[in-house]
Amino acid sequence: MNGWTGRILRVNLTTKTHRIETFSEEFARKWIGGRGFAAKILFDELAPGVDPLGPDNKFIVALGPIAGIPAPNTGKAVVAGKSPSTGGYGDGNLGTRVAEQLRKAGYDVLIVEGRAAEPTMLYIEDDKVEHLPAGEIWGRGTYVANDWIYAKYGKGAGVLNIGQAGENLVRYAVVRSLEGRAGGRTGMGAVMGSKLLKAIVVKGTKPIPQADPAGMKKIGYEDLREVNRIDKKTGWSIQSTNGVLAWCNEVAALPVHNFRKTHHPDAWKVDGERLNDARIATYGCPNCTMRCGITIHDDEGRESELDYENVALLGPNLDIFDLAPMASLNYLCDDYGVDTMSGGCVMSFYADAVENGAAPGDIRFGDAEGFKKLLTAIALRQTKIGDLLAEGSMRAARAFGRGSIDYAMQVKGLEVAAYNCKFIPGMALAFGVSPIGAHHKESWVITFELKQSARESYGPEKARKVIELQRIRGGLFEFIVSCRFPWVENGWPLEHYPKYFKLVSGLDWSLDDFWTVADRIYSVIKLFWLREFPQTDRRLDYPPAVWFDPANADTEGPIAGQHLEYDKYDGLLQHYYDQRGYDRRGIPTKATLERLGLAGEGRAAEAYGKLT
Amino acid sequence: MRVTVKLIGPFVQLFGFSEKALDVPEGTTADGLIGLAGVDRSRPKIVTRNGRAVAPDEALADGDRVAVSPIYSGG
Repeated sequence: MNGWTGRILRVNLTTKTHRIETFSEEFARKWIGGRGFAAKILFDELAPGVDPLGPDNKFIVALGPIAGIPAPNTGKAVVAGKSPSTGGYGDGNLGTRVAEQLRKAGYDVLIVEGRAAEPTMLYIEDDKVEHLPAGEIWGRGTYVANDWIYAKYGKGAGVLNIGQAGENLVRYAVVRSLEGRAGGRTGMGAVMGSKLLKAIVVKGTKPIPQADPAGMKKIGYEDLREVNRIDKKTGWSIQSTNGVLAWCNEVAALPVHNFRKTHHPDAWKVDGERLNDARIATYGCPNCTMRCGITIHDDEGRESELDYENVALLGPNLDIFDLAPMASLNYLCDDYGVDTMSGGCVMSFYADAVENGAAPGDIRFGDAEGFKKLLTAIALRQTKIGDLLAEGSMRAARAFGRGSIDYAMQVKGLEVAAYNCKFIPGMALAFGVSPIGAHHKESWVITFELKQSARESYGPEKARKVIELQRIRGGLFEFIVSCRFPWVENGWPLEHYPKYFKLVSGLDWSLDDFWTVADRIYSVIKLFWLREFPQTDRRLDYPPAVWFDPANADTEGPIAGQHLEYDKYDGLLQHYYDQRGYDRRGIPTKATLERLGLAGEGRAAEAYGKLT
Repeated sequence: MRVTVKLIGPFVQLFGFSEKALDVPEGTTADGLIGLAGVDRSRPKIVTRNGRAVAPDEALADGDRVAVSPIYSGG
């Protein structure tokens, strides 16, 4: 079967056994790979109600047909499982050599089950699987652990590892790779930690099955060079993703002071220009010519790699307008294996709660040293507050009470990314209907809202745009498993992807064929949620309440006096449901499931939750 | 009248300045200002006036702040 290895490696940590399974061509065509494989497998294999941090959850690494093959930005893998943050389907992607090495070892999917008796490192080399003791690096940060692994297996090995946050079951712990890449902010690092799985190391020696390997090699390298040429012309990598910080500040979309403010006169101190000036190195993933990571020295002389999301959420969102201490917080997140976005939001929420008298403590916005201590307390669950905040902002808000849930910046338990949607209805919708909780990777519509629509509109055009972007970003790039950046930021045409798909699989598909797969994957994820939360309703798709609060509206600047409105947002949500073929709870209708070839999955879900 | 032009992201390096105030004739439009500031008009861009989207032919007022950005798509 060209395009896929056709094999799944299933490893059980409890019994220290493994087996190699095969999947059919029909399965491959229906779900393509990456998120598609992960969502379908988790839907089929996880009983509803499974503890995400128990041995019955599964940790999945899933790759797609072009993953690991030299072509524009294919060095990515999807990590997935039931999310400890949300209790629903969770996943994430990260740049890693595992993408290439696991496919060369002969697998498109790795499923890890059970729980090891002791801290373990899984070593996979082609058909060989070893359960190795990892006590020497248990309790250590991701950098030390990674160095230890590289010393044993060389820098060419594919490595996924966790830090102390994953070990301590911090619900927003991430999986790390390449000493600078993280993924699975839905708590996939904690899923690994719950299994006492410190690291996965992969080496492979086999060719990846392709319909036209010579053609793919030629086109792949040509296109890598072309993407690099385009990037040099646009200059995008000069400031990388942090170029957008200054723009967010201009248009009142920057998170400042736990999203209470949308812009700040000192924001320029941490913008893309300043980050570029402080650059000591540039960082990228395998098979990438648009290297997006900018490394700088933090205030303790350590190297810290930054992009927009972590600058905004660990900087202005905490009232820190100085790159070096902010970089220090970022370094700690990376070393402990804490998601920088959720970490920033959880700490800003706590400072806000203290400020409002809802929580005990003396933390203050702008106190970088205080936040460093707090972050350590969270990652190591050292104090009562650290232990509580390790549960995430939603659960902490429930404990604090006093209305603090309104300004816990999360949807479904996952903290929002760094776009302040106080008056950006379409982006608020994108966060609301993201299938894993508030994440910008699914859909990002702000420039569309300002340029091609109207900022104040709650019209169907915004729902349409969110769906269009979900199909591309949350669909195509997540199931073919490739970084979206060439298309996202440098306009690399989407038409290249059916071309790559044909070269590896021999299948002549259109983009419309891909959109059907994307819709199928979104729907099966919705069914996963329905099974877990049978009483679900549309309020699960609402963004944080504080964005609707007139008392929280800006008092000056571009959106003074403006805020989201519930009835209008609900109307926009209904446009989204109608266009998706979902019912009023946001669940696919039976007709939609039938159209997408999911009648069987629908029947399976109906045992737990009603379908209409 | 005096207006401020703020360039965003790689435009800073490409067009040689980050932010500057310009004295321009009354009635200068957003697009006209971009030309006066030496920014390549053919670049795909999003332009805002005081933080809100502005049409290319919209006339500016004294004290306006105009930001010119590549069309980011959100990382």
